Amino acid sequence: MIRVLLADDEGMIRSALAALLRLEGDIEVVAECEDGERALAEALRLTPDVCLLDLEMPGLDGVEVAERLNRAIATRCVVVTRHARPGVLRRALASGVSGFLPKSRGADQVADVIRRVAAGARYVDPEIAADALSDERSPLTDRELDVLRAGRRGQTTGQIAKALSLAPGTVRNHISAVLAKLSVGTRQQAVLLAEERGWI
Amino acid sequence: MVDLPGDPSLGARQLARGITATWWYTFSAVVFLELFLVLVWTLEAFASPGDATAPVVVGAGGIIWWLSTAVLLWAYRHRVDADPGVPWTRIALPLLIAAAYGAVAGLATDSWLLALMPIAQSAVLLNWPKGVRLRIVVLTTALLFCLAFIDGARGAMEPGAPGWLPALYAILIPAMSVSSLWWWDVLVTVDRARASESRLAATQERLRVATDVHDLQGHHLQVIALQLELAERLMGLDPDAALEQLQAARVSVDEARQGTRDLATRFRSVPLGDEVANARDLLTAAGLAVEAEIAADADDAPASALGPVIRETTTNVLRHGAGRHARLTLRRVPEGWRYEVTNDVDAEAAGEPVGSGLDGVRRRITEAGGTLEIRDEGGDFAVVVTVPANDGVSDDRGGSR
Repeated sequence: MIRVLLADDEGMIRSALAALLRLEGDIEVVAECEDGERALAEALRLTPDVCLLDLEMPGLDGVEVAERLNRAIATRCVVVTRHARPGVLRRALASGVSGFLPKSRGADQVADVIRRVAAGARYVDPEIAADALSDERSPLTDRELDVLRAGRRGQTTGQIAKALSLAPGTVRNHISAVLAKLSVGTRQQAVLLAEERGWI
Repeated sequence: MVDLPGDPSLGARQLARGITATWWYTFSAVVFLELFLVLVWTLEAFASPGDATAPVVVGAGGIIWWLSTAVLLWAYRHRVDADPGVPWTRIALPLLIAAAYGAVAGLATDSWLLALMPIAQSAVLLNWPKGVRLRIVVLTTALLFCLAFIDGARGAMEPGAPGWLPALYAILIPAMSVSSLWWWDVLVTVDRARASESRLAATQERLRVATDVHDLQGHHLQVIALQLELAERLMGLDPDAALEQLQAARVSVDEARQGTRDLATRFRSVPLGDEVANARDLLTAAGLAVEAEIAADADDAPASALGPVIRETTTNVLRHGAGRHARLTLRRVPEGWRYEVTNDVDAEAAGEPVGSGLDGVRRRITEAGGTLEIRDEGGDFAVVVTVPANDGVSDDRGGSR
């Protein structure tokens, strides 16, 4: 039996999927959770073989839960999403997620992916991969992305400079280069744009 | 939601820069006109007999007045963002300077024309409501013209002498400045029209996509409702037929989903080089050591043939990702373009042959006149695709998805 934890904030989808998976002879749904924090706690308590995590959950998202679980216990995580935002597959793979598929896949396909992942394979849905391959490339250099990342919570130029061990003038130069490349007016707009496109 | 191009493009930014450049051009035109006028009148004061301090008063005072008009011009630059009307606090000092300079210079040179000219010029630079500025220009020009006559009649200037040239200049300067500013206003209006035009185009595109989504979903939902209703009726009479209808309904749902996805991704495409770079980033994120060699002109490679290969092989490498390294190469060869992907395959993890799923791709490549070769080099698995270059042939990327 493959012991599976389900986490999805949409109750209807979660319970329907759980019911469908229970119909599969070799899958046992050991927990159903409605948010990321609970999923993390339950997974640490139960150590399921596979965690099926919704990407969009309040609090911790699916990839964040997977990242913490991979550091703590031997479980394998599959992330499902309705709409894969740019950059999210890259983030998921880097966090050690074993499977990534769209929510629109039928329960039989989900069960199949759970089996493959439990057997140690990795599964990335072709649709998700195609989307990730057609992500817009960032026109910014690594250093410029560092500056945006260091300032994404509204830190001052001085704080960014200190965090990156740069001179404040250099940080200002990077920021004005970023604003020109993205043709936006403020650093905040640049951060929002970069987050939306999955560059930071 | 569909991500439509609503951001200002590079062209828009350059045009905005062009507008700024035009402003500086207008600004310098007006200030040079004024500076030259001050110079001409200073020389005139030198030439005419009388008080030796007159040239100094006209020249030095003129510079101060000239600077004060620059302040007015600066306020004019930001006029478009401000309410119409005249903010007295900001313009009071420049206007006072203009009036004072007029009084002093007029007395020094004994010229009514020079007494009125500075305040007239400063006044036309103000942010007047629509239509008022034209009347003010006409009025001040007429007034300056009359004063020039009075000066002439009083003998302050000898008619026929070069003295009439500064007079003419002083009469015409408000009209000349205003025509420069008018040209600037026209450009700003044109720029705004262009910006709202591009916003309108984006909005129309959004509306069109919304209509498409609505039509598509409406059609599919209607079909699904019918299939479900039929299944409901059949359930008691013929359970097998009911099951068939339920399965048909599921297929309809898949079609609706696929149709929506096609709509949403219709505009999504990136250059081929970017696609290979994305593949490299994904594989690196998945923990493989990736070498990528992407030709600088990779974007010219036939995307409709190579795009699916890149997608399929990347998915395969990710799926069978027990490997440790991968190499991606996209380069020009004598036969055209070659994309080569090599990775090591962990024999234990391979549940299915790594080349599976490439049949559809192979068909497409053959149609494009290319070749697809799958090699197994002792644990290293390679897919080599060669397609003829489509130089000068427009490439339909949209059809490749």
